[in-house]
Amino acid sequence: MAIVLYRVDERLIHGQVVVGWGSQLRPDRFLVVDTALATSEWEQELFTLGVPERIGVEFMAPGPAREEISGWRESELRSVLLTRDLSTMLELARGRTLEGERVNLGGLHLRKGREEVLPYLFLDESDKVTLEELAKEGVEISAQDLPGSPKVTLESLLG
Amino acid sequence: MKNPGRRAHLSTFLRSFLIQASWNNRTMIGGGFAFAMLPVLRRLHRGDPEGFREALQRHSEHFNAHPYMADLALGAACRMEEEERDPEEIRRFKLAVRGPLGSLGDALIWVGWRPATVLAALVLALAGAPPGATVFFFLVLYNLGHLALRAWGFRVGLEWGSQVGNPLRTVALPKQADRFAAVGVFLLGGLVGLALGRSWAGDSWPLLLLGVTGGIWGFWLGSLVGQRVWRFTFWGISGAIGLIFLVGWFG
Repeated sequence: MAIVLYRVDERLIHGQVVVGWGSQLRPDRFLVVDTALATSEWEQELFTLGVPERIGVEFMAPGPAREEISGWRESELRSVLLTRDLSTMLELARGRTLEGERVNLGGLHLRKGREEVLPYLFLDESDKVTLEELAKEGVEISAQDLPGSPKVTLESLLG
Repeated sequence: MKNPGRRAHLSTFLRSFLIQASWNNRTMIGGGFAFAMLPVLRRLHRGDPEGFREALQRHSEHFNAHPYMADLALGAACRMEEEERDPEEIRRFKLAVRGPLGSLGDALIWVGWRPATVLAALVLALAGAPPGATVFFFLVLYNLGHLALRAWGFRVGLEWGSQVGNPLRTVALPKQADRFAAVGVFLLGGLVGLALGRSWAGDSWPLLLLGVTGGIWGFWLGSLVGQRVWRFTFWGISGAIGLIFLVGWFG
């Protein structure tokens, strides 16, 4: 139980995650899994601006992250794992790596082709396919922007 | 580097006060951001209506941040447009700063500065200042901080562009936010002591002083023990103060 939250959120590290989930889950570090960010120092610099000193941040591409996951899960450090799209989360979950874990959908915004499912969740057809595949990997999926707001299950999201 | 001129910058800064005017769930302050960028974009793309339209469209996309901290992103985005940076880079810059500027601003203003200035005004009111003066004092004090933050943000944004993380780190906003929050705790403690002390202590100054000191200590300890306790105490005591006032009013 050392990865205390898996979250898909286009904004990655922001107020809802740092303050909202952060004060509830008290993480020691944020693990940001993203191909482009993993090699972009100037963007990493900006993303970490709002993170309190006591919380560490690591950026990693999905490939290396897959290798680390079992270590992160066993670690004493409490981690929040963030991706900004569904496909990266699916890449991590392939081969039932995340079986039995809960993945939280926290923010996917309007883009061409996407339709509103919840005020903070817009999905297109390929997003829905990815969600179904993610579920097939044994992951429990639900949408919830903040700890205090209602949890919406995958069935009602796709229904 | 292109220079749209001082007037365009000033105009963009003034427009930034309306950045939330078209707030919506889809683009949040994206529309306001583009509206504020307009004077600068118009000058940068003089004689190039197609480029102007594209730039305006790009900046209307989803964006969000604390409204005061948005000035910093606005200044930096202007700078990057003036440097004719790759649009994709500018987009990525905005994606990267929206989160931090949101949480930094929330901590600094909504959790730190606003409660601290409200409490300072309430202390003044309890000390016997007339209502008009109290409100005036609050509005002036609060907005001094507000305007200073916006002007500073826009200026460092223009100056540093995509490197704006550097000055932001130097001023250590989270630390300032904690400071304001601490002042807030101090004032709230004093206020509670004063409010309760006045009813117990009557005209006895030492007793009143004891109440105020006790209040400050109590709240200080509460804030040290933890956020949950602090939040509970905050609402509990705020409710109690409200009740005392109501009883005083009708009783």
